[in-house]
Amino acid sequence: MTPFALHVNGAACETTANSLQDLLLELGYTLNTAMACAINNHLVHRADWPQRALAQGDRVDVIAPITGG
Amino acid sequence: MQTNVNTYESDSGWQVAGVKLKSRLFLGTAHYPSLQVLSDAATKSAIEVLTVGLRRLQPESGGGNHFWQKIQSLGCHLLPNTAGCHSAQEAITLAHMAREIFDTTWIKLEVIGDDYTLQPDLMATLEAATQLSKDGFAVFAYTTDDLVMAQRLHGVGCAAVMPWAAPIGTGRGPMNPYALETMRRRMPDAVLVVDAGLGRPSHAAQVMEFGFDAVLLNTAVAQAGDPVRMALAFAQAVSAGRGAFVSAPIPERSAAQASTPTVGMPFWHAQ
Repeated sequence: MTPFALHVNGAACETTANSLQDLLLELGYTLNTAMACAINNHLVHRADWPQRALAQGDRVDVIAPITGG
Repeated sequence: MQTNVNTYESDSGWQVAGVKLKSRLFLGTAHYPSLQVLSDAATKSAIEVLTVGLRRLQPESGGGNHFWQKIQSLGCHLLPNTAGCHSAQEAITLAHMAREIFDTTWIKLEVIGDDYTLQPDLMATLEAATQLSKDGFAVFAYTTDDLVMAQRLHGVGCAAVMPWAAPIGTGRGPMNPYALETMRRRMPDAVLVVDAGLGRPSHAAQVMEFGFDAVLLNTAVAQAGDPVRMALAFAQAVSAGRGAFVSAPIPERSAAQASTPTVGMPFWHAQ
């Protein structure tokens, strides 16, 4: 499969991942942690990660809880 | 000074977003010397609500699990925030992501308009609050002491309106006590929580005496010399302020009024 370019947490990267879940695993994320993902500013529910397809130019954000006021 | 409604109620607790609470102190979780100090401060002050943030996760950071597990162990209601967002859309997206992680509809809505004062962008806040309320969120809206905006936020269904006392982290205390007192008086049915800018327990007591339902603070406890003792001091001040509010304080007077009766003064009164 031809690699395509997208952004993850603001950083450019290339991937051949078929799905969001595959991308997360490719990048080394541990899936069973408290985190959420959005693609192009839209939440992708965890249940949809395995089948959510990616496209050239997608902006993926992966966030987790931190301290805050 | 006028007293407000329910002057003689005892503080058997209060309710926000469908949840009954005993404590009227919310604490943030940032800037503590350690997670253990945060935990001890939360326990000592018997708080029931903690605010948390959300930030980008890098795979090598391990997912912040240690913080997440510690926070969950405290058994508090979690109020995730949209701190750092500069637009309504950013805040709306982050709120949805927060709901996904925390499994709560509660969201502390922050949309920042100025990076120096961290003053909220009121128009974007109202836009986001309107949408998030439609999306089923219980919005705790961080705002300024602007009365009309507070009324608008309440009008679109915010669970709580949270005016600042002063800019975040400044510890200045209420910059405009009149505005806060007026807001309470003009919005008797709204849940009002003073959020940001408090520095000392006396500040918290002051706004609670106005009749505010609760206060939210972070830096004043986290960066105190002794955060655990300070958390307790704030909890006591919040309780004292609430007690004063429901006890109908005496009004301010211009002239002195003798405490000791003047009838029967000996010796130097003209007969």
